Amino acid sequence: MNVLLRLAQFFAPLTHYPAYILAYLFETLFLIIFVMVSLVAMIYLFRKYMARLQLRIGPNRVGKFGTLQLIADSLKLVGKESILPAGRDDLPYRIAPIIVFLGLVLSFALLPYGQFFYIGSLTVTNSDVSLLLLFAALAIMPIGEILAGFSSRNKYAVVGALRGVAKDVSFEIPMMISVLALVMMASAKTANPLNLTNLVEVQFIPYGIPQIIGLGVFFIAMVARASYSPFDMSESDSELVSGHSIEYTGMRFGMFYMGLFGSIFLSSLIVSLLYLGGYNGPFSGYAGFVYLLIKAVILVLISFTIWLSVPRIRIDKFVNMGWKYLLPASIINLIIAGILTLGVGI
Amino acid sequence: MMNTDISKPDEHGWVELNMGPQHPSTHGVLRLKVKLDGEIIKEVEPVIGYLHRNAEKICELDYYCDSLIYFDRMDYVGAMNMEVGFLEAAEKLLGIPPPERAEWIRVVMAELSRIASHLVWAGAFGLDLGMLTPFFYCFVEREKILRIFTEVCGTRQETNYMSIGGVYQDFNDKIVHDILEFTEQFPKKLEDIFSAYVKNDIFISRTKGIGILEPEVALNYGVTGPMLRASGVEYDVRKAEPYLVYDKLNFDIPVSYKKDNLARFLVRFEEMRQSIKIINQAVKKISDGPYFNPKAKKSLMIRLRGEGEVYARTESSKGEFGVYLVGDGGVKPYRLRVRSPSLKNLSILPYLAKDVMIADMVAISGTIDLVFGEVDR
Amino acid sequence: MVEILEETTGKDGRRILKVAKENLVQLMKDLKDQGFVHLSLITGVDRKDKLEVVYHVHNLEKNEVLVVKTETLDERVPSIATIFESANWDEREQYDLMGIVFEGHPNLKRLFLPENWVGHPLRKNYDLSKVQYINMDENGEDYATFDPGDGW
Repeated sequence: MNVLLRLAQFFAPLTHYPAYILAYLFETLFLIIFVMVSLVAMIYLFRKYMARLQLRIGPNRVGKFGTLQLIADSLKLVGKESILPAGRDDLPYRIAPIIVFLGLVLSFALLPYGQFFYIGSLTVTNSDVSLLLLFAALAIMPIGEILAGFSSRNKYAVVGALRGVAKDVSFEIPMMISVLALVMMASAKTANPLNLTNLVEVQFIPYGIPQIIGLGVFFIAMVARASYSPFDMSESDSELVSGHSIEYTGMRFGMFYMGLFGSIFLSSLIVSLLYLGGYNGPFSGYAGFVYLLIKAVILVLISFTIWLSVPRIRIDKFVNMGWKYLLPASIINLIIAGILTLGVGI
Repeated sequence: MMNTDISKPDEHGWVELNMGPQHPSTHGVLRLKVKLDGEIIKEVEPVIGYLHRNAEKICELDYYCDSLIYFDRMDYVGAMNMEVGFLEAAEKLLGIPPPERAEWIRVVMAELSRIASHLVWAGAFGLDLGMLTPFFYCFVEREKILRIFTEVCGTRQETNYMSIGGVYQDFNDKIVHDILEFTEQFPKKLEDIFSAYVKNDIFISRTKGIGILEPEVALNYGVTGPMLRASGVEYDVRKAEPYLVYDKLNFDIPVSYKKDNLARFLVRFEEMRQSIKIINQAVKKISDGPYFNPKAKKSLMIRLRGEGEVYARTESSKGEFGVYLVGDGGVKPYRLRVRSPSLKNLSILPYLAKDVMIADMVAISGTIDLVFGEVDR
Repeated sequence: MVEILEETTGKDGRRILKVAKENLVQLMKDLKDQGFVHLSLITGVDRKDKLEVVYHVHNLEKNEVLVVKTETLDERVPSIATIFESANWDEREQYDLMGIVFEGHPNLKRLFLPENWVGHPLRKNYDLSKVQYINMDENGEDYATFDPGDGW
């Protein structure tokens, strides 16, 4: 049983096809609601956590404990005038934030979420190649950022976009090689390791334990993907003011902002799925989603702590690190995974 | 007015970029005209004057005693040091020395102010490098100093506390107790902040070996203060030409021979530790007696006349702060000239930020410790 | 050695040397060779009938600040920016605010005020009642006008 079937069952009185069409629509709606709710929760958590680390109080005016602050903020952003720079390249400028947000929602749609009590499996997409799809969807978001940088005709934005490209190129390859090691290890247990659900379910021991190097490389790559400190070179506020999103105002800026926080949550989910055993655990047939959520939130808090306590690395040093340390480390990880799979047979 | 199109690359293929005056890392209203070759900076031209009020002219139009408030607004994060600088000159010119108790009080306040200034710098430097959290830890500590200032003179930042011939308010037991309480808890907090920076590998990689300033170059450009000491020149006006009662105090001048950003960082932190040492000694040594020279009573203040010329040097938190005062025998200064250390230290930026990356230029301009009230005056 | 017109001691005990402006550059070179490597400050003083330029040079080893003074009747003084780098901005500032033209300066532009500002504010005869407004052109350069314009 999964969400789709439950919904179709609910709409069953309306014959087969209308029921499934409605079920798909509602499933998509639920997904978007889930993404939005998790974004709101993330931003609230970030503000409160940041305030606690920095000896401040944080939002405490709108609603009880400031819980409605983000609603007020987003209403403010929606109500703001969207100022369009005169020299922009119009189409890329307008679609860039949409691409970022779309890539985010799309990636959420591809994750397996595990079981949740009565509803059953929360997984939206059941594909045999969902791992490939996931990384394809993840590659969409940087395109939006690069488009934004080049289309807004601002020098800060261009430098930010250039940095973004350099950054993406240098961490994508180590990231994919460390994912390859995972697939290799899982292929010993399952016939179809490219299916994310299979990949998660064969993790009797979380893959983060045998592949501790891979976990490190992948986590660094995910931090860089979400682009927060120490890897926020492309939108560094003290150098490039705000990099690629400098010319965006109103809700268009809000989309970039949501993209940032969304990708922190997304990368935490992916890391906990691929390396920390995902939704596996006792009674995972009922509470798998809860396990996944707990792991993800812990990773999110770790990410926030990193964000708030380290300075920004310089772009050339990051590129250096990507090619000179992350790439060899991921290859070593691949070799270790091979030895473990063939020799030891984990 | 130029008519060249700055949006296109020039003949070298360099692109001109305007950083500031509204830019998060220029600490106020500095505008840097930067020529970029990709990420590498080829030329920097600082453009200043956005906060220019011509304090020198305003002081010429006012009585000697009125000029003091304009000095508060120069280096507004370390205002007491500015007041000391002006009064050193004015009291020599007018011939009204402060009583000894006032000198001790001034030393205590000036050193507290120096710590406050360095704390602001330390927090802002973290922000320049992308570190958000230490900023707040620095400001919490600074706030404690500003509470003491409020207790003493009623204002937080632009204190206007000292005056020709002494200070406006005497210390009482509560203030002394507050100061001692602060100096007791501060060193531990300072070490916390310090370790938040230096135990971070990325911080070290962003500062070590970057922005190297040779001592000869530094002196040639007129760079003073912590920047000069980080280049290996042991020069501090407090030791070289002691003013107030600094010759009766036991403290060291921190010097580093590494000449880079990290050296300047370490020197400033060591200066804070030395300031705590000075305050602890000075508070205990405050002598009894009047805190105000009766020759400079409030009713007589505007009749003070000075003749001749005086150049007084003091060590502010940014460097050597000099006041050149010329009097013509009238009640107003004939000419008042301020040597602002921030301005001189800023003039080194085009030299230091040549052929470095944008991120490094931000770090270098962070270590200069600019306060624009003082640069532009 | 250059000819010193007058040597006195100021109220703060610093030696004051007076030289003719023709000898200034040579004297500064000599002083730099003698260890006065740090030029602290350049000050222009408007003495109404003439302009006085005061240099504070500093010897770190002897711990001495020496005051060098020179006078000019035609607002022109030789520049020492080639000897001391720190004179560069100081001379620009004095040109800006006091109107002293330093001959031979590599880049004698105004330091604080816009390039087309009228008058030099630190002069004693500067008219404070005339208000000048600063605006920005398309390239981000400032310019001054007597006309309030739109921005004000």
